[in-house]
Amino acid sequence: MNTRSTLGSVFASVAVLIVGWQAGGVMLAPQPTTTTSPQTSTPKSVTSQPTGTTTQAAAPAPAVAAPAATSPADGTYTGASVSTRFGNVQVAVTLTGDRITDVTPLLLTNAGAHSVQISNRAAPIVHDEVIASQSAKVSNVGGATYTTHAYLASVQSALDQAGF
Amino acid sequence: MRHVFETMGTVASIELPETVTTELDTVREIFTAADQRFSLYAPESELSRIASGTLTLARASSAVRESYERSIQWRIHTSGLFSPNRPDGVIDLNGIVKAEAIERAGAHLDSVGCPSWTINVGGDILVRTDRAPWVTGIADPSDDRSLICSVVLAGSRRAVATSGSAQRGDHIWRGCELGPTHFVQVSVIADDIVTADVLATAIVAGGQEALDDVTGRWPIDVLAIDRGGALMATPGFREAIAA
Repeated sequence: MNTRSTLGSVFASVAVLIVGWQAGGVMLAPQPTTTTSPQTSTPKSVTSQPTGTTTQAAAPAPAVAAPAATSPADGTYTGASVSTRFGNVQVAVTLTGDRITDVTPLLLTNAGAHSVQISNRAAPIVHDEVIASQSAKVSNVGGATYTTHAYLASVQSALDQAGF
Repeated sequence: MRHVFETMGTVASIELPETVTTELDTVREIFTAADQRFSLYAPESELSRIASGTLTLARASSAVRESYERSIQWRIHTSGLFSPNRPDGVIDLNGIVKAEAIERAGAHLDSVGCPSWTINVGGDILVRTDRAPWVTGIADPSDDRSLICSVVLAGSRRAVATSGSAQRGDHIWRGCELGPTHFVQVSVIADDIVTADVLATAIVAGGQEALDDVTGRWPIDVLAIDRGGALMATPGFREAIAA
């Protein structure tokens, strides 16, 4: 196995791992049975090996000089962007000796809801956080569906009468 | 200038620049037409005729079939939390027709080049602005006369919809039950009013689990208020809270 194919397989594996990790995150969703949404899909398996991952160890890495070497030189290697069913994935791998010491995702799928899921989750807030905004000058008031009758007693009604 | 009229069992409040007041009639007609077609309170509406069996869905107007199809898509996306089918089998598009009418009215105002407007129908709001953001209050579910907070609608964040049991009792179906919900009020800010409205309904119907699921899958900002009055908000909602 030459250096190039070794690195190729490393990148392919890492890409699959990352895709798996992302999908794993999605699978942690409270409703894993959901299969579609407008933004993304959450397939149940990620066994699909990106085909044609004759990923080439491209670019700004230390030049790999000796094709006959059995282990690649130390350094950081940037993989090609791999197309997966979730979108494109690209990683950089740092090798020290014959060990992978670091993996840096350069490009993660934008289809994965994983990052959204972590960052967009609702958390408790205290009333103090919203109190100041209660007295803001508003143009409209949203609320659970007003009946015509309930409207008459609403803040919206007062705004409308005042021509807001 | 503010214009107020009754429609769809509630009240519409529309803010328009005086130069385009002439468009008000068209906007009003959009709501009237939707109400006449979709109301289950009007015995001769298409939906009432479908409910009574004198009209089949297949022979209904394209407007009804398109709304139904859109509702079915949302039912799939929300794992059934939002549904156009009542447990008794009646097709009820109430959950989406108001938002669709707001969407249509907004599209009309855009099409005639109106640069700045707000449409509030029964507490669901869509805005357009070319200048300062529109600051929008969110009603306090425990007190009609006060606000729980207010938020800034700006940029692509043009819609806020609120669902809950505060105004009409427990009107959201949960499975086959019409029971008390974990959240008494849920407000969703989104880029479009249909998404905001449908997902607010889905979160009320599905509770905490739905809140976590939905906020993970759609780019929306949410404020949810539970029966004890405790608040939960997504980071984006916190940022939207007006200073």
